[in-house]
Amino acid sequence: MEQELLLEVKGCSKSFPGVKAFNKVDFNLYSGEIHCVVGENGAGKSTFIKMLSGALRPDEGTITIGGQLYSHLTPALAHQLGIQTIYQEISLAPDLTVAENIFIGAEPVTRFGFIDYPKLKKESKLLLDNLKIDLDVDAFIGSLSVPQKQSIQIAKAMRMAAKIFILDEPTASYGSNEISNLLELVKQVAERGVGVIYISHHLEEVFSLNDRITVLRDGNKIATHDKSEVTEEKIISEMIGRDVSKFYTRESVDIDYSKTVEFKNFSNGGAVKDASFKIHRGEIVGFAGMVGSGRTDLVRLIFGAGEKTSGSVIIEGKEIRIDNPRHAIQAGLSLLTEDRQKTGLILDHNIEWNVSLVHLTNTAGMFINEREESKDVSHYVQAINIRTPSLKQEVRNLSGGNQQKVVLAKWLYANSNVIIFDEPTRGIDIGAKEEIYKLMVQLAKQGKYILMISSDMPELIAMCDRVVVMRQGRIVGEIGRDQLSEENLLTYSIGGSI
Amino acid sequence: MTLIPEQGNQSVKWINKGNRSGLYLLVIIVVAVVIMSLLDPNFLTVRNLLNVLNQQSTLGIVTMGVAIALIAGCIDLTVGNLLACTAAIAALLLKAGVSDGLVVILACGAGLLAGAINGIIVVKTRIDSFIATLGLMTIYQGIALIIPNGNNIYLQGKFGWIGTFRLADIVPIPVIYFVIITIIVYLVMRYTRFGRKLYSIGGNSEAAFLAGINLDLHRIVAYAISGLCAGFTSLIVISRIGQSQPAMGIAYPLEAIAAAVIGGVSLSGGKGTIPGVFLGAILLGLIRNSLNILRVPSFYQYVMLGAVIIIAVTLSNLGAAKKNR
Repeated sequence: MEQELLLEVKGCSKSFPGVKAFNKVDFNLYSGEIHCVVGENGAGKSTFIKMLSGALRPDEGTITIGGQLYSHLTPALAHQLGIQTIYQEISLAPDLTVAENIFIGAEPVTRFGFIDYPKLKKESKLLLDNLKIDLDVDAFIGSLSVPQKQSIQIAKAMRMAAKIFILDEPTASYGSNEISNLLELVKQVAERGVGVIYISHHLEEVFSLNDRITVLRDGNKIATHDKSEVTEEKIISEMIGRDVSKFYTRESVDIDYSKTVEFKNFSNGGAVKDASFKIHRGEIVGFAGMVGSGRTDLVRLIFGAGEKTSGSVIIEGKEIRIDNPRHAIQAGLSLLTEDRQKTGLILDHNIEWNVSLVHLTNTAGMFINEREESKDVSHYVQAINIRTPSLKQEVRNLSGGNQQKVVLAKWLYANSNVIIFDEPTRGIDIGAKEEIYKLMVQLAKQGKYILMISSDMPELIAMCDRVVVMRQGRIVGEIGRDQLSEENLLTYSIGGSI
Repeated sequence: MTLIPEQGNQSVKWINKGNRSGLYLLVIIVVAVVIMSLLDPNFLTVRNLLNVLNQQSTLGIVTMGVAIALIAGCIDLTVGNLLACTAAIAALLLKAGVSDGLVVILACGAGLLAGAINGIIVVKTRIDSFIATLGLMTIYQGIALIIPNGNNIYLQGKFGWIGTFRLADIVPIPVIYFVIITIIVYLVMRYTRFGRKLYSIGGNSEAAFLAGINLDLHRIVAYAISGLCAGFTSLIVISRIGQSQPAMGIAYPLEAIAAAVIGGVSLSGGKGTIPGVFLGAILLGLIRNSLNILRVPSFYQYVMLGAVIIIAVTLSNLGAAKKNR
């Protein structure tokens, strides 16, 4: 079959304040081809999808589709040009049936203007049979599994005669049987002349599927390979390739290996599966893994903020029962959450109220001594250098770095021994980052136990004494400081073997 | 510790904590008073102003309870019909010869208990508090009819002191209740850990949860206080009108929410001050009184009162928005 050029992206760039998310990228897609796009978290994959689906407008560059040149797409235009994006968050109506969803917005009607249900079902059935999807057309979407829903999305896209499919991390966290069914379906639609862009960080999957692989890193296209002429190692090395030595250099701290905090057998019957690890006194333990690997779920379970099916915490030899965050705080744990605006701060309240929150709610007494509160809060505000004209400033008005420091001050004030940082430096400037690194090392020096989740590999390598890697809810490896490299981290994270 | 300068004017700080709408409200009230005193010399008299306060005291006390719940992010629509229930209970007890003091305790207790039950239902069913209390409101409407079998119950001269006594023959006792309750609620919300926790829960429940606050317990207590305020208010109302009526209090929930919101409380929780709420309740009363003095027919009064609520909230939001910029 002659391959037709469906899509050509030339020199596309996109900047966000402070970041070049996408830098002069060229990309093309032929009919009947499965073209995989791989890259670390933050490599520019989502930006790329959003440009193709019309949600983002490139700052420069062109997109050519079907011989027509565009400077940017809109969602309506992308739809009209036959580009269908299949996200993990499913865009189907859960309370309608399979058939109704497939034909949504284009239902066949009788001559009185009512929906022609017999025809709707017949055509849906035909379509599903044709694609070898074994599902009942009368089933409600809400009753299907995620991969099944994705199959229906693909069927719906086929019904709309889409020419370009974009699948965004389609198989994260499902059983292997359902995955192979979905992969089969993807291959089938490609055979029918559709061009598929397949975004994934599971290299295994990528190699079982693709015709070509494009590697993105820090918003740049590194290379496009034919599958036949590339190895997994080569792809991994291309996904990394940063100069780590230039990164932050931390002070070393003596670790007391005789004292530990142990976390044993944490599970929640879903995103976290039997995770056990320990931290030594004065140690900074990193958690690596792809987004969705279960790291955040795990620390929430540890902190008593999620429903666990099993798991225990043993602090310096003593088992502590933690059913809710209050127990966790009383046991000396702190959790600095990943999304400071949604779960860390009360944006409408001022710095003083935010910083004293944990301390006030977990110490005895009925009244608030406002003078003491101000004194203590301003101590922390100065100690970690929060830049603000007043303690009465609403935290909404602070910069990202200063907001993160308010969260930090809040937990320092709580004076915990075990401090869990979930993406502590996400979205803050380099200066604030270094201040936070310094503080973490200081805390380790004071003999705290520190856990740090990060998707920023150079950061993990620079900061951690040891890194635990998670994949699909399990702890799949542990790497000591001397073995830490991006290559090792990535290999574990995406399921290769060393 | 002195490196960090304080911001803002100390003199308005008592209304100002985190929200400037209280100040704007004060301006609106002053302007309204000036205009009215120009229009009618009878307006700006001690007698008339005390009259306004007296009339507004029952709504004001109910509003304090509703505001506490709102600050914790919980809407309480039950207060009106709940008040009719406790009124019927109190009236029946009085009729049965129970002593005044015991009636006060039992009616307040009933309000507290019903409020706690409201809280438990909202928290445990996880239904949106608006809908849950809408359902509960209807249940209380039924109970308020069931208890007295649909009848008004007359107090036959008993119990007058609690709502009609005047201190030094001038200041009506409900005004004193209103002021004392406002002060207590203000102190609780401003200076206790409990109050701060309610603000935190309303401001960001997830952050509050992760800070170790027991969300359910605090929400239940907030509803219980709201119920207590309604229960106490019912005593003033029956004392004044000499009877309990199954349909009394129906307008309270929405008026109380309106007064609280005018006073700077956010429907989504976490914001607003008690002095602001106090002024919000007063403003509503002043407007109603002004319309009466100006002899605006009551049908039209509703229209104007509604308009005033919208204008007042818009103005105080504008003030808050300017500050955030």
